[in-house]
Amino acid sequence: MNLAALTNDQHDALQELTNIAMGQAGASLATLLDEFVDLSVPRIRIVAVIDLPPVLAELVGKNNLVSAARQSFQGYLRGEAIIIFGEPGCQALADLMGFEGELGEHGETELLLDVANVLSGACLGGMMEQIRKFTETTGSTELGFSMPSIMARQVMAAQLIDPGKVRWSHALLLEVNFTIQNRNFIAHLTMLMPEDGIEKIRGIIDEFIAAF
Amino acid sequence: MSDSAPSFNLAETVVKWVDVGIFVLNKNFEVQLWNNFMAHHSGRLTEDVVGKNLFEAFPDLPKPWFTKKVNTVFLLNNFAFISWENRPYLFRFAHNRPITGGADHMYQNCMLLPLKAEQGKPEAVCVMVFDATDTAIAQNLLKQALETISEISNRDGLTGIYNRRYLENRLSSEFDRTRRYGGTFSMILFDLDFFKKVNDTYGHLAGDKVLVEIAARVRDKLRSSDVIGRYGGEEFVLILPETPLDGARQFAERLREAVALEPVIFDDTPIRVTISMGVTEHHAGMPGYATLTHQSDIALYASKAAGRNCVTCYAPELEKLAAAK
Amino acid sequence: MSLPILVVDDSAMARKMLIKSLPPDWDVDISQAANGIEAIAAYRAGKAAVMFLDLTMPDMDGFQVLEALRQEELNSMVIVVSADIQTVAQERVMSLGAIAFVKKPVSADVLNAVLKQYGVI
Repeated sequence: MNLAALTNDQHDALQELTNIAMGQAGASLATLLDEFVDLSVPRIRIVAVIDLPPVLAELVGKNNLVSAARQSFQGYLRGEAIIIFGEPGCQALADLMGFEGELGEHGETELLLDVANVLSGACLGGMMEQIRKFTETTGSTELGFSMPSIMARQVMAAQLIDPGKVRWSHALLLEVNFTIQNRNFIAHLTMLMPEDGIEKIRGIIDEFIAAF
Repeated sequence: MSDSAPSFNLAETVVKWVDVGIFVLNKNFEVQLWNNFMAHHSGRLTEDVVGKNLFEAFPDLPKPWFTKKVNTVFLLNNFAFISWENRPYLFRFAHNRPITGGADHMYQNCMLLPLKAEQGKPEAVCVMVFDATDTAIAQNLLKQALETISEISNRDGLTGIYNRRYLENRLSSEFDRTRRYGGTFSMILFDLDFFKKVNDTYGHLAGDKVLVEIAARVRDKLRSSDVIGRYGGEEFVLILPETPLDGARQFAERLREAVALEPVIFDDTPIRVTISMGVTEHHAGMPGYATLTHQSDIALYASKAAGRNCVTCYAPELEKLAAAK
Repeated sequence: MSLPILVVDDSAMARKMLIKSLPPDWDVDISQAANGIEAIAAYRAGKAAVMFLDLTMPDMDGFQVLEALRQEELNSMVIVVSADIQTVAQERVMSLGAIAFVKKPVSADVLNAVLKQYGVI
């Protein structure tokens, strides 16, 4: 499948849509952790799956060890959210939530999964809200989410995804990162959507653009 | 259409009978709904539980943690999950595999869903409890199988002691550990004298018996932290953590005696066996663990040259001897 | 004379959305800026009696713009328009001198109410 790149207008509109959605995710994270969260400007790209490892490494930092959780969503949109935590993300999270060294490995995992779930749920929820508001969607605009799971612990970002195991040829990559100053905490929320999803998003954006 | 409509509430009936635990809590943790799955597994009937505070009805629940989990769903208006991999269960239920299970409780995955009017704030939280026992058992079996495979792949098929693959890895990690944290370790390389003659005289089965027996004799004398493996053919390696050269030499001497003293009995025939040994110790400044293998090999060669059935510690001047061979 | 207003956002889409949400009969002269640096320049050129300011922008973000304006004796009514809806973010921009916080996506009704409240329309 050959995918056209996003036009400047499409890119800009999707970035704004993502920005609004990620704002919700950031607010939820801030509520969960009771800390102010710095949001980055969203980065958006259509990437050939084969290029995913180097692109992720570039987004997250080549030599940084990371842990990551994944969660799939289906329904009106279909894809996977991958939430990448910089090290020492686990410890920073545990401290933030008031557990001091009392979390075992399972407790830490649960914490990572909780945060991952809050970020992807709020972000996609926010995105669906925009879609319902600004486009003429008919039928169900609900999303279902799978249980999040840990993808990897303490690996280089480039090792997170094995392109050989991905069945898509292209993916739409939406990335934003959430940092908490003085806490050494960073989480990258990336959304990957397959080709058909990309075309659907393109349709939504065009409607979004036409509305203004 | 109305002709074919059932005379009962479809959704209500499905929720009641679906093979998934479903219950609903309000903000005070009072149970609003309790389906049959929950009733049957907990032994607490719907009419017995509905209207009651969950923690009063089930005092064994992990209250602080579950309260936080549910409150987060109310606060963030977002669903949440609980995985059996992190917490085996929310409710301690018996599982449906009493005979074949190998587990003494039901493993559970849970999903927490905020319930609200459109655009509104959540007024209740629906908890779904999924039986994940089959998955958990399968995953545990898989984990055990992988552990067994990795154990097997590290073992020598004939003698049951470690194989060369494992020895190389272990030498490498021991080398790295010593370089990082200090301390020392020694390595012994030994080899059966005239092993080819054993095979030629008594046959290969006898040769195999000798290898198995010698490996067992040496293994019986090791400390728990020591490692023995078959390096190849009739060559064996010992890794002795936290042991300096002199200790390793004395230990090698004892092993040599233990082997030489008693013959190996094969089909009522006593077979005399001796071993030649080379010993060396880790030193700061060695470029890699291959240096250790090289040095123990040189020392072993010196033992052979000195007439076999003896122990030699590595010294730099032995290199010339080996070079002249 | 029309009122000079400035719309600051790195997204052209967001600027368009905001401009469409302004009261249709409001007599204004609209300028746009795509980042904080452009915003400061336009402000100095007197193009920002009212400024609609986004927070999350590359190079110079909305917080930095507010701080820079404060150095120059803020002489503009700044309404922050942002997707970053954390309470702390709202408090921070207010303490930096913004008169109001409007969350994205902008609603024409909310914007109208804010402008009325401060007597701009």
